[in-house]
Amino acid sequence: MPDLSPLYGLLAQLLPFDCLQARFMQQALAGLLLLAPMTAAMGILVVNFRMSFFADAISHSAFAGVALGLLLALDPDWTMPAFGLLVGLGIMLMQRTSSLSSDTVIGVFFSAMVAFGLAIVSRDRSLARDLQRFLYGDILTISDGQILALMGLFAVLMTFQACCYNQLLYIGLNPTLARAHRVRVAVLQYLFAGLLALIVMFAVQAVGVLLVTALLIVPAAAARNFARSAGAMFWWTVGISVSSAVAGLLLSAQDWARTATGATIILVACGWFALSMAAAFRRRERLI
Amino acid sequence: MAATDPLPLYRPLESAVRFDEVTVERGGISILDRVSATAPKGSCTAIIGPNGAGKTTLLLALLGEIGYRGRIVFGSGSPAPRIGYVPQRLAFDRGMPLTVSEFLVMGFQKKPLWFGLNTVLRRQAEESLAMVKADHLAGRAIGALSGGELQRVLLALALRQEPELLVLDEPSAGVDFQGELIFCELLDELRRKRGFTQLMVSHDLATVTHHATHVICLNRKVAAEGPPRQTLTAEHLTAIFGMHMGLVSSRSMPGDRAVCSAPCCQEHTDA
Repeated sequence: MPDLSPLYGLLAQLLPFDCLQARFMQQALAGLLLLAPMTAAMGILVVNFRMSFFADAISHSAFAGVALGLLLALDPDWTMPAFGLLVGLGIMLMQRTSSLSSDTVIGVFFSAMVAFGLAIVSRDRSLARDLQRFLYGDILTISDGQILALMGLFAVLMTFQACCYNQLLYIGLNPTLARAHRVRVAVLQYLFAGLLALIVMFAVQAVGVLLVTALLIVPAAAARNFARSAGAMFWWTVGISVSSAVAGLLLSAQDWARTATGATIILVACGWFALSMAAAFRRRERLI
Repeated sequence: MAATDPLPLYRPLESAVRFDEVTVERGGISILDRVSATAPKGSCTAIIGPNGAGKTTLLLALLGEIGYRGRIVFGSGSPAPRIGYVPQRLAFDRGMPLTVSEFLVMGFQKKPLWFGLNTVLRRQAEESLAMVKADHLAGRAIGALSGGELQRVLLALALRQEPELLVLDEPSAGVDFQGELIFCELLDELRRKRGFTQLMVSHDLATVTHHATHVICLNRKVAAEGPPRQTLTAEHLTAIFGMHMGLVSSRSMPGDRAVCSAPCCQEHTDA
């Protein structure tokens, strides 16, 4: 495994805060700097596709994924993303082929996943403690291995975004129109669902099952209020997401705060959202 | 079935699209029943019929959006042509920040929109907007357009596809009378200039009588097909709409057009 110490040293130099001198904080910062742009970029499309419930269902399948790993004596770090990927593609397949509305399909998957996870956990009390980690998430325990995996995912996902962002936006606007104009809708939808599932599973480890959807949605929702074009919306979302992640990490480490990192990040992002609402309101008033 | 049909049938030499016994059923209910019809190459073919006649379903089958039995043949058996599609009412999220220029460029640009618009593509988008007389809309947000403005932008997008077949679903829905007239004249002019085939769904007979060169009367089955003066007769219209529409006289006009009593039509004949 390559040594990431120079990277951590660089981060500590770039942001010379007292709290960033500890290695676990540097690791957390590196993890967040990789994760935040990814959730931002995917979040834009989640908002445009109205797929927040989809993301929610994937995050709740994290329990089942971990439980399955523990049950089969496999590493949960691998069973969880793999299981999430499977669930994501499964939901997409059902949505595309059945005549049920998409929220019904997701609702069924959602309940099945949660029930399955709970059923396995209820067999073994000691598992319950392990699962707490996933409920609230803990970016501070991120390992070098996970950071490397995030780097790999970052490369794949950003390449995908750079190649397909325009077409995905097209599909998000109206899939029938996109298909008639020769956009390969099915392939892109599956690719998107798969990558979204993977990113959600990584984000679960950072902010927890309960808040992962917020990490995807809130920066994009705030950016919508600030931006007037799709190009600008991307940069606004990335900016809001990264700044919230860094600010949240730093704030949570302050002596006076000592809050959970994931929750603090989301709170900062929600602060951005409140600001964006005010901006949108003012703009509307000016128009009237 | 077609051979025994007593209604006038028009068999052109070259077809752009041929529907061959197309049947669509949903939950045991038949929506289209063995529809066989043709859109001649270079024509303006209108599919008319009452609400629930399966007009939009036929278009969706053509676009490959829904499953059907039977065959849809393009041209003389050639692969699917380039299609430009103008939907009836674009269901989209109006809160989405997306400018009209971005909307027109995004299907063509490889570079993601966040790195800005390609200058050449942006100019092409502006040209296509100018073509539909909507150049002033380039910088507007797509969610802030009125029904008629959106329709023009959608037409500009469809024309950007360099279509061989332009498919329009209710091109005049949501557009005021004046706007509709301009819209249809625009299409006539473009079709003559570019030579594409236009296939449109309409339940607005005034539009059809003005602009169609070929009409398919549909009410789950094909009731009649052919040039407007042969198809838009009182008896056919009564057969599919269930009442006399009173718009069309059977007096034939040059260019295979029927005459209607709408004021614009009178202007047309004067000119």
